[in-house]
Amino acid sequence: MAKTPDDRHLELLQGTLDMLILRTLQWGPQHGHGIGQAIRSRSDDLLRVETGSLYPALHRLEKRGWLKSEWDVSEANQRAKYYRLTAAGKAQLSREQDRWSQLVNAIGRIMNPAENK
Amino acid sequence: MRPQDRDLDEEIRGHLALSVKERIERGEDPEAARLAALREFGYVPAIRDSMRSVWYSRWFDAVAALGQEMRVGTRSLLRAKGLAATVIVTLALGIGANAAIFSVVRGVLLRPLVNRGEDRLVYIRQSAPGLGAANTTFSVPEIDDFKSRVTTIAAFGDFSTIDFTMVGFGEPRVVQAGVVGGLFFEVMGLRPVLGRLLNAADDGPDAAGAAVLTHRFWTSSLTSDPRVIGKTIRLGSRTATVVGVLEPSVPYPADTEIIGNVVTSPHHLGATMVTGRTHRMTELFGRLAPGASLEEARAEVTAVHAAMMRAHPEAYSTSGDVRVSVTPLRDQLAAPARTILLVLLAAAAIVFVIACSNVANLILARSVRREGELAVRAALGASNGALRRTLLAESLVLCSAGAVLGVLLARPLVTAVAGFAARFSVRALEVTVDSSLLWVGAGLAMAAAVMLAYVPRLPSTFAATGLGLASGSIRITPGTNRRLRVFAMTQIAFSFVLLAGAGMLLAALVALQTVNTGYNMRQVLAVDVPSRSLGVITAQEMDFYQEVTRRIGELPGVKGVAIGSFVPWRDAGTFGSGSPFAVEGHTPEDGEENPHARLRVVSPGFFAVLGVPMFAGRDFTGDDRRGSELVVIVSQSVAHRLFPNGDALNRKMWWTDPFFGKPQPRRIVGVVADVDDENVVPGPALTIYHPLQQMGVAGRVFVHAADDPYALVPPVTRIIREMSANQPVERAATLEDVRAEVLAPERLNAFVFTGFAGIALLIAVVGVAGVLAFSVSARTREFGVRLAVGLAPRQLLLRVLSEGVSIVAVGILVGAAAGYAFGGVAKSYLENVRLPGALPVLGAAVVLVGAAILASLMPAARASRVDVLQALRSE
Repeated sequence: MAKTPDDRHLELLQGTLDMLILRTLQWGPQHGHGIGQAIRSRSDDLLRVETGSLYPALHRLEKRGWLKSEWDVSEANQRAKYYRLTAAGKAQLSREQDRWSQLVNAIGRIMNPAENK
Repeated sequence: MRPQDRDLDEEIRGHLALSVKERIERGEDPEAARLAALREFGYVPAIRDSMRSVWYSRWFDAVAALGQEMRVGTRSLLRAKGLAATVIVTLALGIGANAAIFSVVRGVLLRPLVNRGEDRLVYIRQSAPGLGAANTTFSVPEIDDFKSRVTTIAAFGDFSTIDFTMVGFGEPRVVQAGVVGGLFFEVMGLRPVLGRLLNAADDGPDAAGAAVLTHRFWTSSLTSDPRVIGKTIRLGSRTATVVGVLEPSVPYPADTEIIGNVVTSPHHLGATMVTGRTHRMTELFGRLAPGASLEEARAEVTAVHAAMMRAHPEAYSTSGDVRVSVTPLRDQLAAPARTILLVLLAAAAIVFVIACSNVANLILARSVRREGELAVRAALGASNGALRRTLLAESLVLCSAGAVLGVLLARPLVTAVAGFAARFSVRALEVTVDSSLLWVGAGLAMAAAVMLAYVPRLPSTFAATGLGLASGSIRITPGTNRRLRVFAMTQIAFSFVLLAGAGMLLAALVALQTVNTGYNMRQVLAVDVPSRSLGVITAQEMDFYQEVTRRIGELPGVKGVAIGSFVPWRDAGTFGSGSPFAVEGHTPEDGEENPHARLRVVSPGFFAVLGVPMFAGRDFTGDDRRGSELVVIVSQSVAHRLFPNGDALNRKMWWTDPFFGKPQPRRIVGVVADVDDENVVPGPALTIYHPLQQMGVAGRVFVHAADDPYALVPPVTRIIREMSANQPVERAATLEDVRAEVLAPERLNAFVFTGFAGIALLIAVVGVAGVLAFSVSARTREFGVRLAVGLAPRQLLLRVLSEGVSIVAVGILVGAAAGYAFGGVAKSYLENVRLPGALPVLGAAVVLVGAAILASLMPAARASRVDVLQALRSE
C-alpha cells in the first residue's frame, strides 16, 4: 500500500466520514468507487478516503438503515453496488450537519476569540 | 438483509474494474493500471473481512464452523454405524427416562392448581398420632367453632363423603358422593362448565335437593350430554336435581361422581351429625383472609383448636395427642407422591450417569483409534480448540440423535409413570406430555455432549511429531486405560446402588405377599351387596340378607355363605380407627385410657367361611337375635391383653364411646384368632365381633367356594337381582385379589425400580464387556508374546476374566460406600427412606459379579485364541 507522500492531503477528522458519505449521496445514488472519487474531487483533492475505511463505513450505514443498496450495471459495464440515501439517512445527515456546524463554531470561538466578540 | 460473501467479492471486483477503467482512460498501460488499482485498494482479504464483520458476529462464524464440523462428524459416524447406534440407544434410554420422570414431577409437585387463587387455599387436618390416626377429619361442632373464631381464614369449605345408591343414570349403583356446604365451591375457587355450582342458597335443611356432576363422570359416563341439567335423580331415600357440571379439577379429597348439598343426605341433617362433637367425617378447606399469611393462620387455628380441646375434654383423647395442621392445598395434594417421585428422579439420574459413562467409554475407545488422525491434524496446525470442536461436533450429533429418540421414548413413558404416580397423588391424573419434555431432553443432551467432548485426551504437541504420526496402529496409553476402567467402575457402582434398591423393594414385596393373613385367601369370594339404609338396617332388609344367605348356600359348589360389614383391606378406614371399650374385671390404671378395639358385625358362620380359627367358646347362632342376650366374640389379642389368665369367656364388655348411647354390657361367648383386616402388614388386632341380628350393619356377602370362586359370580348376582331388581351387586373378588389390589402400589414400586435397575445392569454389562474387548484387541501383540513364551491359553483366559471381575469388585465397593452415604443424607431429608438389608445387597453383588463374568467371557475367549504368529507379525 505504498502511497506517494503528498503533504497536500489532509487526514480525515474522526467521525466525519459518515457525514461526508451521506452528503455525497444527496446528489443521487452512487457506488463505492464513485463516492470515493466524489469526496476527492469536491475537496479539490485535499481529502482522500481509504477504501479500507470507506467500504466498512458504507456497510455500517446500510445496516443502520440510512442507506439502501441495489445492484446495477456501472459505466464500466461491470455489475456494481449502488448506494442510495433513505429517509432516515436524510434525517441523520441534517442532524450531523447541525452538529458539525456547532462544532466548527465552537472551535472557531476558541481559536479566534477576537473575531467573535 | 445480510450480503452474502459472494456479494462482497463482487462489490470489490466492481470497484477495481472501475478504477482500472479510469486509469486506462487516463492513458495508463492496462497491466500497470491493474497493479496500481490493486495497490491503491489495499489488502483485499482484510478489507473484505472488515466489511463482513459489520454484518456477521464472531459467534455466527463459530456456529457456522461447528455446523460444518457436524456434517463431517455425521459422515464419519455413518462409517461406524454399530458404535453410533449403541451410543444413541444408550443415551436415549438415559434421556428418555429422565425427561419422562421430570414431566411427572413437574406436573405433580410444581404446577399450580386450576382453582382460582390457589396459592391462598389451605387444607386443615386434625390428627391423633397417639392413636395412629393420621387424619381424623372434623365434626360439625368443631367446624362451627372454627368458623366463628378464626379470622385469618376468610371462609371455610366443608366436604364429606357418603355412599348412596344412585338411580337415574344407567343401572342402579352405589356411588360415593360428596356432600358440601354452600360455601365449598366459592372457597375452592372452582367454576362450572355447564349450569351452576352449589351456593349459599343450597345450604341448610330447607333447601331443595341439588347435585353437581364432576367433569370426569359427565364426560366419561354421560358422553358430555348437556341435557342432564335439570334431570332429577334418586340418591338413597332422597331425590336431587342436577344443577350443573364442575370444571375439570383435582378430585380431592375424594374422587366422587356427584357432589350434592346437605339436604340430599338425611345423615347430615341428623342430630348425631349436627351436635356430635366426636362424629368426625368432614374434610375442611379454607381460603386465607386478604393480608393474612399462612403462618398467622396456622397459629390462630392451633390456638382455637387448643381452646376447643380445653372446653370439651371428653371429646379429645388425652393419649391421642390430638393436633391440627394447616397446609397449602397444593402441598397437601402432592405430599404422598413426593418421596416416591424424588426417589424415581434419583433413579433416573443414576441411569443417566451410567448411560453417560458407558457412552464416554465408547467414545474414548473410538478416539484412541482416531489418535493418528488427530495427531496429523495437530501437526498440520489445528489448534487444540479446533480439535475439541471436532470432537464436540461429533458428540453433538450423537447426543442430538439420542435426545430425539429419548423424547420419542419418553412420550409413552410419561403416561406409564403418571399412571403409577396416580396411586399416590390424584394430581398425576392431569399430567400430560408437554414441551418440558423437549427442554429436559435437549438440556441433558447438551450436558452429555459437552462432557463427552472433553473425555478423550488430545495428542500433545510433542507426541504430534513422534509416535502418533509414525505408526498408524492403536496404542493404548496407561492414562486412557485408567480412564476406561474408571468409567466402567462408575457404571458398576451406580448399577449396584440401583440393584440393591430394587432388591430391597422386591424383598419387601415378597415378604408382603407370602405373609400369613389368617384368612382363607383363595376360596373366599367377597361381594359388596350394600344395604339401602345407612347404619342400622331394617327388619325387612335383615330378612333379605338371611334369604340371600340361604339361597346362595343352595348353589352347587358353595361350601358356606356369611354376611359381614367389612371386606378386609378394601374397606380399611371406613369404620374409623377403633372405639374405646371397657371390660368387667379390668380397671385401667391411673392415666391409662380405655383400650380401643375395632367393631365388626358378622353373621353366624362368618369365621368358618373365612377360615378364621376359633380358639374358645362358640360361634354366633341364629338365636343371638334382637331381644335375646347381648353377646360378642373377641379376637385373641383382646382376650390376652385384658384377661391374661385366660378367662375371657363369659365376661362382660361394653363400649364407652358416647356414640353408642348408654353402655350396654355384652357377654363374651367366643375367642377367635387375630386377623388384621385394616393393614396389609398384619399386626395384633383388637377386634370385637357382634352378631348381625343384634347390631344390624351389613352389606358384604362372603361365599366359600369349593372350586373356582369367580364361576359363582353370575349365579350369585342372579339370585340377588331376582329378589330385588334395584339392588347393587358389585366388586366381587377373592380375598387374595382384594389384597393384591391393595398391594398394587408396592408391586408397581418394585416393578418400576427393577425396570430401572435392569436397564442400568444391561448398560453396565455392555460397558464392562466393551472395555475388556477393547483392551484385548489393543493387546493382541502382548498376548501373542505371552503365548510364545509358554503361557497356557487357559491362564490367559483366567487373567482377562479376573480383570473383569476386579473392575466389578471395586465398583461394588465404591457403590456400597456411596450408596450408604447417600442413603444417610436422603434419610435426613425424606421420610420413609430405608436402607436395604444384607440379603438384597448380597443378591445385587452376586448378580453383578455373575453378569461381569458373563460379559468378560467373550473377550477372554478371544484373548486365549490369539494366533501367536499372526499376533507377532501384526506390527
